[in-house]
Amino acid sequence: MPQDYDSKISLHLDINHGLDRVTELVQTRLVECGWRDQVRLACRKAIVENGNDQHVPTVDELISTVTPKARALVPDAVKKELLHELELILVNVDKSGYSKSF
Amino acid sequence: MSAKACHHLQLYKKSNKNLESFKWIHAVFVVGTSLKSRKAKICNAYCRTCKKRGPFLHACLECVYFGCHKHIREHTKYHKHIISMDLTYGQIHCASCNDYVYDAELDSITLHNKMQAGNFKKRLFESTHWDPTEEERDLLDRRTKKICITPESTIGLRGLLNLGATCFMNCIVQALMHTPLLRDYFLTERHNCNGVPGTCLVCEVSKLFQEFYRGARVPLALHELLHLIWTHARHLAGYEQQDAHEFYVATLDVLHQHCLATMPHLTNNQDEKTSAIKCPCIIHQIFTGRLQSDVVCQKCQGVSTTIDPISDFSLDLGPVSIGCRPPSSLVDCLERFTRAENLGSNAKILCTKCESYEVSTKQLTFKTLPIVVSFHLKRFQHHTTEMKKISTVISFPETLDMTPFLSNCKKESPFPSDNRYSLFAVINHVGQSICVGHYTAYVRQQHNCWYKCDDHVITRANLKDVLDSEGYLLFYHKQILEYE
Repeated sequence: MPQDYDSKISLHLDINHGLDRVTELVQTRLVECGWRDQVRLACRKAIVENGNDQHVPTVDELISTVTPKARALVPDAVKKELLHELELILVNVDKSGYSKSF
Repeated sequence: MSAKACHHLQLYKKSNKNLESFKWIHAVFVVGTSLKSRKAKICNAYCRTCKKRGPFLHACLECVYFGCHKHIREHTKYHKHIISMDLTYGQIHCASCNDYVYDAELDSITLHNKMQAGNFKKRLFESTHWDPTEEERDLLDRRTKKICITPESTIGLRGLLNLGATCFMNCIVQALMHTPLLRDYFLTERHNCNGVPGTCLVCEVSKLFQEFYRGARVPLALHELLHLIWTHARHLAGYEQQDAHEFYVATLDVLHQHCLATMPHLTNNQDEKTSAIKCPCIIHQIFTGRLQSDVVCQKCQGVSTTIDPISDFSLDLGPVSIGCRPPSSLVDCLERFTRAENLGSNAKILCTKCESYEVSTKQLTFKTLPIVVSFHLKRFQHHTTEMKKISTVISFPETLDMTPFLSNCKKESPFPSDNRYSLFAVINHVGQSICVGHYTAYVRQQHNCWYKCDDHVITRANLKDVLDSEGYLLFYHKQILEYE
């Protein structure tokens, strides 16, 4: 399957259950630090501001307006922890031998 | 939120084939926990246009196409395909409405898939809601008393009255009531009976579980259960003392039959098939493993293998042969059970390769192990005229590793399996022979508390008491359950 470098990494993550673990971790952290509530508020605001009686913004529109703000709101501590976790998993890729069978 | 989605989706749903493929894609790519679906997901889940694995990978539900957020929109626009699904949360997107849509029918399919999943994924359940039924709302309103379980609480312990030499039944019931998976099955009310009330043993056991875990402390009399066993296993009827092991085997058998009778999807013509594979009833799911028997011809070394279901692990205690040490521990017994045995020249077996009767060896090993293993130490020896009891000390551990007794192929698998078992109940026989004497049971309650159940008297015990007891039936459960 033809893939670029980024995808190879995410493939590794997928195979070793790493992605599942990391997403779950990040999700928990983001809820804990209140990020999700902030994003929820931002979405609500975007709907009120951009919508009117005839048109409610679609999910895609919301994604494009809110994503830049939401990204900026992610605390540095969460980013650092994520990076650390990913490093741990990728360093140990060779040890968990069965990733090669694919 | 409107539960009924746009008419584009209604149109899509009209075809059963579409619904099937939706269900399948959701099961594999959104939920996907089994090894097979994970493989399929890993090999296929990337954008067909930019070859990246995200972000927001979608699957087109009208042709075979996966695309990232940007490319799936281009795809649907270009090919005039309408319905697609996001693979992170399983939401449906309608290109005509230009937004995600909700649909009650598809929601119920996805919920079913999520509940079937091997492990729990938080993200899939965050937006799931629970609509309590009328009955559940009623229960929530009325039963407001909370029961707190502390190490001191005695919930789950009930004494059982002796109805005249029925201690053999009482101790088996105590062991079954404390079988963790059986308890979970019955307390979640998974048994839906459609038979005549009062005739189904499974219903009776279900009622017993409710009684045991209701918090009351008065001893119970099991006359209804006894009556059911008498009517369904005639050889146990009567007021004399019975063998606890025989009762246990008979009870499981009747439970299995009643379970099968109430399973609607099983018709008679499938019976042969189900006996060949695994029986879906809860009793066999918990108590049955598969025993592999290898007969090796000593002339050509050809192996003929047969595999049978096994739920009764009866272990011999008598001396093996003259000069040989009799077994002194459970592991000894198991080693003896799985040792290659020379069948001798008197019992030659037809070898299909040599096409003649040859001297062979036979070896039994465990192909698969059940979740609950019940070892029966054969303490009662059938002599010509009388029954003799063997009171040899057999030590048994709290944690037992069954890996050495498994069939070979299992050991060589690259995924090492954990086959450790924990002791949770022991049944003891006090007395000199099978016809007289008394049965008592030790059961594990909560995590590490042991109790001795002697009919209606329940006393606290410690692990040492349990491990020092003689042991007649030993119940172990698997420590780690694997996903199938």
